[in-house]
Amino acid sequence: MFSYSVVGAELYTGDMIFVMLSFVVLVFLISLVAWKPITKMMNDRANKISSDIDSAEQARTQANELAQKRQAELDNTRNEVSGIINDAKESGQQQRDQIIGKAHEEVTNMKATAEKDIEQQRQEALANSRKDVASLSIDIASKIISKEINETDQQALVDSYIEGLGKQNESR
Amino acid sequence: MGQPTSTFQFLGLTFNLANIISVLVACLIVFLLVFGLSRHISMRPGKGQNVLEAIVDFTNGIVKSSIPGEASKSLGLWAFSLFLFILISNLLGLFLHVDISGVTYVKSPTADPVVTLTLSLLTLTGAQFLGIESLGYKGHFTNYLKPFKPFIIVNIFEEFTNFLTLGLRLFGNIFSGEMLLSMITSMAVKGGPLMWVVMFPVEMAWQAFSVFLGCIQAYVFVTLASVYISRKIELEE
Repeated sequence: MFSYSVVGAELYTGDMIFVMLSFVVLVFLISLVAWKPITKMMNDRANKISSDIDSAEQARTQANELAQKRQAELDNTRNEVSGIINDAKESGQQQRDQIIGKAHEEVTNMKATAEKDIEQQRQEALANSRKDVASLSIDIASKIISKEINETDQQALVDSYIEGLGKQNESR
Repeated sequence: MGQPTSTFQFLGLTFNLANIISVLVACLIVFLLVFGLSRHISMRPGKGQNVLEAIVDFTNGIVKSSIPGEASKSLGLWAFSLFLFILISNLLGLFLHVDISGVTYVKSPTADPVVTLTLSLLTLTGAQFLGIESLGYKGHFTNYLKPFKPFIIVNIFEEFTNFLTLGLRLFGNIFSGEMLLSMITSMAVKGGPLMWVVMFPVEMAWQAFSVFLGCIQAYVFVTLASVYISRKIELEE
């Protein structure tokens, strides 16, 4: 009925409609089953790759910045440390000088006081010994004299001694 | 065609049983292939997904090479389906050819002009619609008047020759391949055991060549179709 003859073959219209329909259905099914998920996944992957590249770039610049910062801080710290060490050396030197100076001073002071003490003690000892010698000689003298002199003489001697004491007191 | 076929009438339309079965088988194989390859789609592609993505990239490349810009994206699915369907159809007849008492039931669907001309008609009609969609009615139909008005005859005639050449090129290649294949087979069967041994490598060689031809023709069909579409959706200078 609707058949035509082209190059010796029969063209059946029913076949045409059937082929069209089946092809359209096939396209629809492929779209449903494979095309949509696969293109979505490919798009997602493309996006992920580009975002990964971006983030990697970012991370690299960040790392560079951090490295620079770290280097700068390291230099800074090194400078500070050498400053601190110099300061410490200087202050140590100062302290040492101070301590030595003080010690010198103390030593001279101590020497002076010691000398003074020694002098004083020597004086005192000298005075004491003089006193002792005097009293001793008096004792000895009085013992010798008491054996030889009588009452009157002794009286006279005591008087003269007292007189002498009074004179000594006056002369003082 | 020479070969006897089984036909039946339905709703006043004539159907060829061989075509219907072959197209259904081809559609089924394509669907199962795509279905099987598209399981477990993930960010890190497995084996099946890799194969599928390679085919998608290939057909997308065909479309992009002739249609620049946004329009190529919407045609990716069409090119992918067309390529796979024609490829499987071309190869189907090489290993599956069912004859029952001289009547063919399963063969390459593309070895029949009805199927190839239908695909070409589908594509070129789609091209007309896409042309109107992207250029508008005025832009689309003034394209027929370029480069100058009398060319309308050539341009309209060209539409028909495009339709015929696109469909008949595919048909001719596949049909001749199958014909030679069946001739070699009948020679081998009729010529006795010695002929069978001689014809075996010949058959193998021709089958290999037909596989090559089938792939080339599927590629050519999709490429030419996208070229025709690209000419319709762009204003001619």
